[in-house]
Amino acid sequence: MDEKRNELKKIIMDTRTLPTLPGVINKLNSLSDNDKSSVQEMARIVSSDQVLSARILRLANSPSYGFYRVSTISNAMILLGVNVVKSLALSSSIFEIMEKNSVGLWEHSLGTGVAANLIATKLGLPECEEIATAGLLHDIGKVIISIKCSEAEEEVRRVIDEKRVYMREAEQEIIDTDHAEVGGWLAKSWFLPDKLSEPINCHHDVEASGNHRIKTAAVHMADVLIKASGFGDSGDHYVPQIQQAAWDALKLNEQIIAELVEDLEDKLVEVKNFSLELQQGGDAPAR
Amino acid sequence: MQKIPLIRATAGMILARDVFRSEQANGVPICGKDTELTEPLVARLGKLNIQSVYVHGHPLWEEGDQSLDEILRDLDGRFEKVRQDPLTAKLYDIYADYLTRSMGESGGRKAE
Repeated sequence: MDEKRNELKKIIMDTRTLPTLPGVINKLNSLSDNDKSSVQEMARIVSSDQVLSARILRLANSPSYGFYRVSTISNAMILLGVNVVKSLALSSSIFEIMEKNSVGLWEHSLGTGVAANLIATKLGLPECEEIATAGLLHDIGKVIISIKCSEAEEEVRRVIDEKRVYMREAEQEIIDTDHAEVGGWLAKSWFLPDKLSEPINCHHDVEASGNHRIKTAAVHMADVLIKASGFGDSGDHYVPQIQQAAWDALKLNEQIIAELVEDLEDKLVEVKNFSLELQQGGDAPAR
Repeated sequence: MQKIPLIRATAGMILARDVFRSEQANGVPICGKDTELTEPLVARLGKLNIQSVYVHGHPLWEEGDQSLDEILRDLDGRFEKVRQDPLTAKLYDIYADYLTRSMGESGGRKAE
């Protein structure tokens, strides 16, 4: 079985066909560690890529981040901060890969980003925007499996239909790994920080998370909430079991969950709106 | 009452809540409760970047949301693997309660 998994890992991690991130992201990443780099310099780098700029602005104005009316990159840098713009640059690039792949999964991811942001805000967790980004990206492994192993993906769908199991159970049966692990590999190969790769890797096994338990727990809960709402399509329609480790890490109670459900349902109307607009051709950057 | 995306709003629908700029419920409302929507008004709200409005009743009926019973049946389906788990069962109860309340308010079209 291990052989099959390693072979798959090799196929998935074949860098020649792996979707790559724009060079701008790497430039941004290298700048951030350098204190001398100025906001203007960053804005200049981002603005040099018009498509990316447009996508960042589109996402900054989307309900998953909830910053309305940000109209220029330098505004975004000043209003939102450099880290947020970096998260936006990253998620907008990955979104492009996702959008083409499947609307249902894209909506599920967008919804999970929104839910993760709501959870982080409500609980006053640090680094809200990273948590939202991790929520957006948590199922990126599914995209890669579908791009790289489309036959296996069809098998996985067949198993879900026939046996009525969770997607990750079907994935384990067919490819001997699952989308969380694959997403983790991908995050590593893209050199994403641990605070993003760990929640992606462990969103179905919060116990396995280490340094970023809280972020992982928030993403797990966001995934559960969005599956409970029935928004989007993540591959199967079964709500995952809430993990005790996540419940404890976030110190949740029924009252908080009830409030989160209200807030989320309210927000999902906007998310649907946003998604419909894109599908109806409101996608400015594509033109 | 139903919250709908503005792009799905049509003439004849009646606002159930005041509409505020940027959805911040402070400041002056752009358009008052109980106003009947017209096409030019919807267009104007769109220009003001209003994303969604609350309208009376439950005017948007799509496949899959015909009745509360069906909505709850879908919810049962989504939770079928986790109803026995105490934590996740709590979420089920919260969701069932939320959906019942949101459909029950003056807008629940029972048989039509």
